[in-house]
Amino acid sequence: MIDFLVSWIANTPGFAAPYALAALGLIVSERAGVLSLGAEGFMLVGAVIGVGMILSFGMPPLPAMVAAMVAAALVSTLFAALVVWLKINQVIAGLVMVFFCQGATSLIGSQYGWTNRPFTGLPKIELGPLANVPVLGPILAAQDVVIYATPAIFLGVVYVLFRTHTGLRLRAVGESPEAADAAGIDVSGVRFLSVMAGASLIGLAGAYISVGSAKIWVEDMTSGRGWIAVALVIFARWSPWRALAGAILFGAIEALVPKLAAAGVRLPQYLMLMTPYLATLGVMIWIAAARRGAAPDEPGALGVPHVREERR
Amino acid sequence: MSKVRICALVALAIGAATPTVAQEVFKVEGAPKVAIVLFGPKNDGGWSQAFEEARPSLEKVMGATIPVVDKVPEDAASITPPVERFIQRGHNVIIGTAFGYSDTFKKLSEKHPKVAFLNASGITNGPNLESFYGRTYQSQYLCGMVAGAVSKSGKLGFVAANPLPVVNWTINAYELGAKKMNPNATVTVVFTGAWNNPVKERAAAAALIDQGADVIGQHVDTPTPQIVAQERGVYGTGHHRDLSEFAPKATQCSSIWTWAKFLGPELEAIKAGNWKPQPYGAFPGIKEGGTDVACCGSAVSAEAKEKIMAARQAIIDGDPIFAGPLKDRDGKERLAAGAKIDDAGLWKMDWFVEGVVAQQ
Repeated sequence: MIDFLVSWIANTPGFAAPYALAALGLIVSERAGVLSLGAEGFMLVGAVIGVGMILSFGMPPLPAMVAAMVAAALVSTLFAALVVWLKINQVIAGLVMVFFCQGATSLIGSQYGWTNRPFTGLPKIELGPLANVPVLGPILAAQDVVIYATPAIFLGVVYVLFRTHTGLRLRAVGESPEAADAAGIDVSGVRFLSVMAGASLIGLAGAYISVGSAKIWVEDMTSGRGWIAVALVIFARWSPWRALAGAILFGAIEALVPKLAAAGVRLPQYLMLMTPYLATLGVMIWIAAARRGAAPDEPGALGVPHVREERR
Repeated sequence: MSKVRICALVALAIGAATPTVAQEVFKVEGAPKVAIVLFGPKNDGGWSQAFEEARPSLEKVMGATIPVVDKVPEDAASITPPVERFIQRGHNVIIGTAFGYSDTFKKLSEKHPKVAFLNASGITNGPNLESFYGRTYQSQYLCGMVAGAVSKSGKLGFVAANPLPVVNWTINAYELGAKKMNPNATVTVVFTGAWNNPVKERAAAAALIDQGADVIGQHVDTPTPQIVAQERGVYGTGHHRDLSEFAPKATQCSSIWTWAKFLGPELEAIKAGNWKPQPYGAFPGIKEGGTDVACCGSAVSAEAKEKIMAARQAIIDGDPIFAGPLKDRDGKERLAAGAKIDDAGLWKMDWFVEGVVAQQ
């Protein structure tokens, strides 16, 4: 029993990390007022480029994941140009990006022969003798480098968002672009860069799925995790720490389902497969009920394009 | 592949239960010219690639090159243009490869009554249209024998997509095969709910190995379970193609598609002008081609291999595999002593044999 629990908890961060990183990326972009529904697509870009760098260019996993972040940020410039400069409806542009990225990544993956080619991927790093400590060792000291880095990435992003001038400007653009504009902030510039920064984190989440977890690329392999991250951000009310907690909850459920099945627990299969979504519903209802009457904490100008001439 | 087999061939099931209507000979007009429409990329490592690999030998049968268009999604707007173009260029034998082509192929076959249509894992048939699928329980039974032979713990794991009849029969046959080599063998199944989700497949395979499984079988589309087996130093058995390509140390047997062996004679018959499309679709086994095993890896002893090959011959000679007395895992009798399963029973298999541990 204790073995089961330890291995369950030890597996959780691996499932939680992509949700956490993608949600964090979404928060960066949405705090600046851009609803980035293209997350699923940017994740796929990160996933395919991470694998491609390893298979075709012999890169080690870490530089490959950095390349994946850059690639996702570059693809997101297309989205940013559509919504920030051309002021196209963000929902439609986001959906288009998902379909575009699904097609483009499938094409690239099969064109270069990256599909279904296994590779070593990101290794687990055991932190010396710490890894041999019973119970805590496997949970805390035998993970891969991305998982060790995730808390630091969160601390860094939270610091920038809430403790620096840059973060203040980013949030001002998301809350009230008119006021930010009047204060001399380049609204379009800030939004453009926020989308790119967010997409790079989402790309890292995707690359972690292919390079860190699955160690293989197949078409559409993120299989809806980008959408779950979108929901995660809503129920975290745009707070990075609540998003992290939500990601851990999801990771724990995703890690538990196959373990229960492998242990021979006879539960209805389709019930098991829908547990993550049941959890989403449950948490959203709980938060909505708990927050009734409170002030809205959604960025004031989320999804609203800023056109200076239409200033209210 | 995801949607391809999902509800596959319900019509076949009904067909198998109903008395057969007379087969009609169908002749194409002029010399037959073949073209193939693939569902996935031709290098997908699985379902679609198996057809691509059958193509050279079919070209030999036809004495001409066979053009292929790949990555054709399962909707009429995507399927119709390439097929119409092939027909305009004089191709009069069109081979499709997806469950989701069923309706469009039916319409096209009615629009072009002089053209022969074949569709793998389809559910529609007609005077010039034949759907076909392989009896994968035969090949997975042999893989189960391999698993039973190489397992030390007798605890086998199986990573499967969804509990559909076409998947359930592979799981059941796997367990029956394993029992043949080790009467105490059990098969624990984890359903991932998807054909193509390597993250879930990896988690499932790892969880099974954590629970003591030392052979991992599979009926999903990626080689991930085999790769995990190799990483963890246990054995595995593959599906679709010979997966020892991906996990040479782990994979000891694979259930493979042998479409050349089935389609070759079909094309010969079309050439000879005596092709009779099966009114309820074709359901070939190891004997007729369609499915077979790539066997065996180096961990399989010569003695075990001999038994496995003898069982393969017995299947070719008519061993039905699902024969009474056969109880399901809840102890309910499914086949009485002396009874054999029929095709209708296969196509609606929603139960697991004794020794299978699975979710409901």
